[in-house]
Amino acid sequence: MLNPIMAFSATRRMRSFKTMLIVIAYVAALLLLALAFLGSFIPDAVYLNTMTRGPMCYLALLIAQFTLIILIAPAMTSASIAGERERQTLDLLLVTNTGSFRIAIGKVMESFAVLALLIVCGLPVMSLCLLTGGVSLVQILIGELFLLAEAFACVSIGVFCSSVARSTVLSGVLSYLVIILVGVITALPFLFGYPQKITDVVYDRSLYAALTPGEARIMISPLLYMNPGFGLLSLVQGELHVLTSYTEYMGWGRILCTWRMADRAGWVFIALASAVGMLVIAAILIGLASLMIRKGHKTKSNG
Amino acid sequence: MLKIDNLTKNYGSFPALKGLNLEIPDGALHGFVGPNGAGKTTTMRILATLMKPTSGTAYVDGTDVVKDGQKARKLVGYMPDFFGVYDSLKCWEYLDFYARCYRIGAEERKTMTRRLLELVQLEEKEDEYVDALSRGMKQRLCLARSLIHDPKLLILDEPASGMDPRARAEMKGILRTLREMGKTVLISSHILPELAEMCDSLTILDHGELVFSGSVEALNDKMNGNAPLDIRLTEGCGEENVEAAVRCLKEMPAVTEILREEPYLLRIRLENGADVCTDVLRQLVMKGVPVSDFHRAPMNLEKVFMEVTQGA
Repeated sequence: MLNPIMAFSATRRMRSFKTMLIVIAYVAALLLLALAFLGSFIPDAVYLNTMTRGPMCYLALLIAQFTLIILIAPAMTSASIAGERERQTLDLLLVTNTGSFRIAIGKVMESFAVLALLIVCGLPVMSLCLLTGGVSLVQILIGELFLLAEAFACVSIGVFCSSVARSTVLSGVLSYLVIILVGVITALPFLFGYPQKITDVVYDRSLYAALTPGEARIMISPLLYMNPGFGLLSLVQGELHVLTSYTEYMGWGRILCTWRMADRAGWVFIALASAVGMLVIAAILIGLASLMIRKGHKTKSNG
Repeated sequence: MLKIDNLTKNYGSFPALKGLNLEIPDGALHGFVGPNGAGKTTTMRILATLMKPTSGTAYVDGTDVVKDGQKARKLVGYMPDFFGVYDSLKCWEYLDFYARCYRIGAEERKTMTRRLLELVQLEEKEDEYVDALSRGMKQRLCLARSLIHDPKLLILDEPASGMDPRARAEMKGILRTLREMGKTVLISSHILPELAEMCDSLTILDHGELVFSGSVEALNDKMNGNAPLDIRLTEGCGEENVEAAVRCLKEMPAVTEILREEPYLLRIRLENGADVCTDVLRQLVMKGVPVSDFHRAPMNLEKVFMEVTQGA
């Protein structure tokens, strides 16, 4: 049987005029961005040669969607459990035979469904990048998969925070903080210390030349695979030569080492590993949320 | 049907329930009375598996609600004192949603939803949005929700609170129907007369402790035994006769309190359990006090509640 929480919430959400407006606004924003880059909407606004317009448009759309998901997901999920608590409907759910895990997963899937709808609605806009060449269909599909994984992780964070927080507002604030925290903690290997072994390999031409993708994948910190930003950069690395040159110029050795190691490990692998990493975070948070739904529900009765 | 065994619940250092023991037979309509903070809602939330007790347990139809919450939830229907409803949802969808939560199949859901809407007299509101219903209707809809999985025990926490007299009467009618259907109902209120009207038996809680448990008649009998005695002297018999009566009463060790309610009406309280009414009257007559009326003061249920919960 279909998860009742998901089916029911989806019915309510889809009846709301707000949902339709969100979808229209999301697609409209992406379309404007795409048209701006592809030059047909604002002629000569971007002074790049025709060949780079497609990849740049892909880069912009991916970053825009990545950011929008981070912004939308907490707002969408902040009321998922905390709202039930505020509305005094959580008790009615908890006395049914629907377990806490089913409630948590239902809430996650319900919000994820809306975000997935947004991402899928954005697919035709992403496909506009194919018109000018320089971007493959596979690239776009991997990008979509990555965004779906990011959306799932973000709604899981939102539902977890909603299960912990007493109010919807607090839940929203907490969600943004946790997303930032996950981004910062998983980026720590970028900033602090890599084993000497990595720098030795990267800076020794013969050792680097002999390095297989498998070895490079093991040498990259597992924490980094869970960083959504790292995954996003790996998707658009082809368009980020400037960044490589800049880090080299600035002497940011750790970033450069990671970059080179990732280049050897394979960018598609990094993107997919990052997606899996985010799903692992999501799974842990859904588990914790299902524990917190009941444990966090110790309201003192008045009689 | 329900057996509560030494149930204790502490909120930090505050004891909300102090070793509650109670048994309710199959098919009973049992009232749960007590002032605010007596422990009624705490007990009901434990029975509904929403809260774990500090110690003790309860059994619903032999199922331990603390150890086997999942099974207990199938046996218990719960209606909280405060609850919200979802907007953008029609009445039938509201019931259908909860039926899905209980994993009830599509066909059965349809039948149950229709049957329950009829039971709570909301069949005409089937396609109306829940948030458009009046408070009384929402209460009835919530009652229908608590019955959606056909539970054996129904726990209703102040179901008639905030209702107008008509809605209360309708709710009472529904409860009578539920009793006829053979459901065991545990219903709480802080209004004793309201419960006494419809319940077979009552439990009175105060400060987390059981003060009384038994039939309404037993409660009346018990309280009438403790009711004060009204002694009326002959009108205009003079102050000296009243003073003589007071002196005589003061000499009796069983008399604990003497109040002069009116110029010729004395109200006395006797020690708990003291059966000395005849002696009191005899002594007064022997002292030559002109007694014209001598009877127990009438106790209504409101007074009983105040007496029992020491709020008088």
